[in-house]
Amino acid sequence: MKNQALLNKKPFEINYGQETETEINKLVKIINQTPTLKSLYPPRWLAIKLLESDEDIAQRLSAIPGSTELYTEAQASVESLKKILGDDVDILMADQRYRWINSLVKEVVMKPDQSILTNSDKIDKIVTNRFLGIPIFLIFMWIVFKLTADVSAPYLDWVEGVINGPIARWTTSFLGWIGLGDTWVVSLFMDGIIAGVGGVLVFVPVLMFLYIALAVLEDSGYMARAAFVMDRLMHALGLHGKSFLPMLVGFGCTVPAIYATRTLENKNDRILTGLLVPFMSCGARLPVYVLFASIFFPKNSGKVIFSMYLLGIVVAILLGVIFKRTLFKGKEQSAFVMELPPYRIPTLKGVWRHTWERTGAFVKKAWTIIMATSVILWFLMSIPTGGQGSFANTEIGNSVFASVSKAIAPAFKPLGFNSWEASGALVTGFVAKEVVISTMSQAYAAGEPDEEVEETPTFLEDLGEIVKSFAESTLDTIKSLPLIVGVNLLGEEEEAEPTALMDAIKESFEESSNGNGWLAALSYMVFVLIYTPCMVAIAAEWHELGAKWTWVSIFGQLFLAWLLSFIVFQGGILLGLG
Amino acid sequence: MKKLTIALAGNPNAGKSSVFNVLTGSRQHVGNWPGKTVEKKEGHFQKDGYEITVIDLPGTYSLTAFSPEEVIARDFIIDEKPDVVVIILDSANLERNLYLAVQVLELGARGIAVLNMIDIADSRSIKINKEQLSKLVGIPVVTTVASKGEGISDLMDCIMNIANEVTK
Repeated sequence: MKNQALLNKKPFEINYGQETETEINKLVKIINQTPTLKSLYPPRWLAIKLLESDEDIAQRLSAIPGSTELYTEAQASVESLKKILGDDVDILMADQRYRWINSLVKEVVMKPDQSILTNSDKIDKIVTNRFLGIPIFLIFMWIVFKLTADVSAPYLDWVEGVINGPIARWTTSFLGWIGLGDTWVVSLFMDGIIAGVGGVLVFVPVLMFLYIALAVLEDSGYMARAAFVMDRLMHALGLHGKSFLPMLVGFGCTVPAIYATRTLENKNDRILTGLLVPFMSCGARLPVYVLFASIFFPKNSGKVIFSMYLLGIVVAILLGVIFKRTLFKGKEQSAFVMELPPYRIPTLKGVWRHTWERTGAFVKKAWTIIMATSVILWFLMSIPTGGQGSFANTEIGNSVFASVSKAIAPAFKPLGFNSWEASGALVTGFVAKEVVISTMSQAYAAGEPDEEVEETPTFLEDLGEIVKSFAESTLDTIKSLPLIVGVNLLGEEEEAEPTALMDAIKESFEESSNGNGWLAALSYMVFVLIYTPCMVAIAAEWHELGAKWTWVSIFGQLFLAWLLSFIVFQGGILLGLG
Repeated sequence: MKKLTIALAGNPNAGKSSVFNVLTGSRQHVGNWPGKTVEKKEGHFQKDGYEITVIDLPGTYSLTAFSPEEVIARDFIIDEKPDVVVIILDSANLERNLYLAVQVLELGARGIAVLNMIDIADSRSIKINKEQLSKLVGIPVVTTVASKGEGISDLMDCIMNIANEVTK
């Protein structure tokens, strides 16, 4: 009965005018006499597509026996119609459809005077203005990064407190209760899983604020304007305007951004954009900047983080220009049509949905890939080398992991950070950028003496404390909102109390760079920005761009990361900035 | 249980996803169209003894051979012959959105036109005579604000009417 669905009582038809209709009917007659065709396509539609010289249909017909006559006949019809009507049939047919629609709309739609500007038009006059457009775009981006860097900070502290306090305590007591206290399992959970996954979950608030901001920009319709505004700039640089959308998405996560290159029609544009997208600094790289900026640039962390994002954009633009002139030279650009949806006030539900989807994906990653890497790393860090110590009871500096990292470390010497902890974190960062910090917390923290256990609070006290500190964080967050415009309600900004990890990193970087710690930190951040985003991104590239371009991407990024970090560190020293 | 397949067609930004989400709730499956790197969303719901499959066609402005999305959308309508194609239209931009609708109907599909985001059209004092539209185009027309769930029960009724007709 399925075919019945195609048979409307009164079939929908547009009258394409006497001459065209004659040709359509001629073709329909032939189609009706060819059973193979009649069963595959609605006859009138097929006739229309043939007159439109539809490439896809032509290709399919060539594979169907008995269609040669039809195809030849159709060609003849197209030619003769062009002579009679004086223009290409496909254009005339499209035109006829628009006329039909136009008259339909006149019948059924009552519109107010067209000269009245809608609110969207009014906003667009300012926001997409030739001169104001780009500054407004940068201001919005600045607000987004302030939100993520400053406003989320109190929650960050809260999550950290909950994980390192109550959760760590509950895990220990639980393991003790099932009889595994004082075994290597405790170390696996505390130094492996909680240190690894916990170190990543701490950044959930940062990402949530980023995703909320992006969702508001997307749902309000501003994101499309941002692409439109940047389109002029992109074209000036020889890139495709539509490439900007995947790039914008790339600030959230590289993986969907690579998939978003699908919106580009031209294959070369897709590949070029796919190669550049990873330089857009994704959300997972942000925690690394946040950590390093707060250690080495406590007063200017916002600016340093922002400049990382800018650097990524600049690198992408320059590479785009170079590729366009070399690898993709002379390849045509497809025309760019972009729709600006009307502005809408974002709904809470919509923003929440987007935010939750993305944050959820991040948390899921923390639980799967990062959990697995953390456990593997813990084992690598627990297996001793050179006969010193025993399993799970070895100085981390004597572990298998340290030996591997030490072997690589000299490659980073000219970049200012050849400690095995730092290079080891880059190795694991290949899997996911979220792991960079967790590796560091495992590598550095494992070398510290255990903190003294204070009087253990009860379960209920813990719960109460969690709720209370959450409320305090919320209050702090509200107070910190004016920070976006530079007003500080939090009073004298307390120097955030450096954690043990922060101290360890600072010491290690100062040492490996001969006292040029902040240059080494900058060089490290640049490396993290430029090299392979994560395993999942590689999988996405493989899927969308193919193996060849994926390899180009991986090795190109490694080389470029090393080169730029080298320039930052050595250049900085040459300029006497150290 | 009787089976029914409905496809959702519409321009990008016409609110296709909202309609898809309210129709299918959480019973969704996201994958790729066979052999293509274009996302395919499929969902299910049950009503009045029907097991209804909803396919979200790629959002397009037209059904030419210009982009893979457009070819996928039209191939689905030709090859899979969905029982109903629900055409989602942005009420405030009806004229432009109708171009896709016309092409879907030229394919011989049994269509329902959904005047979505009718609240925005209202707020701009755009009045659409839906009875007249339905008469001139020859398909049922319903008005919705899918993001708020308004008008969805009308759309359901409309789908069920056609279901009863198709499987009679």
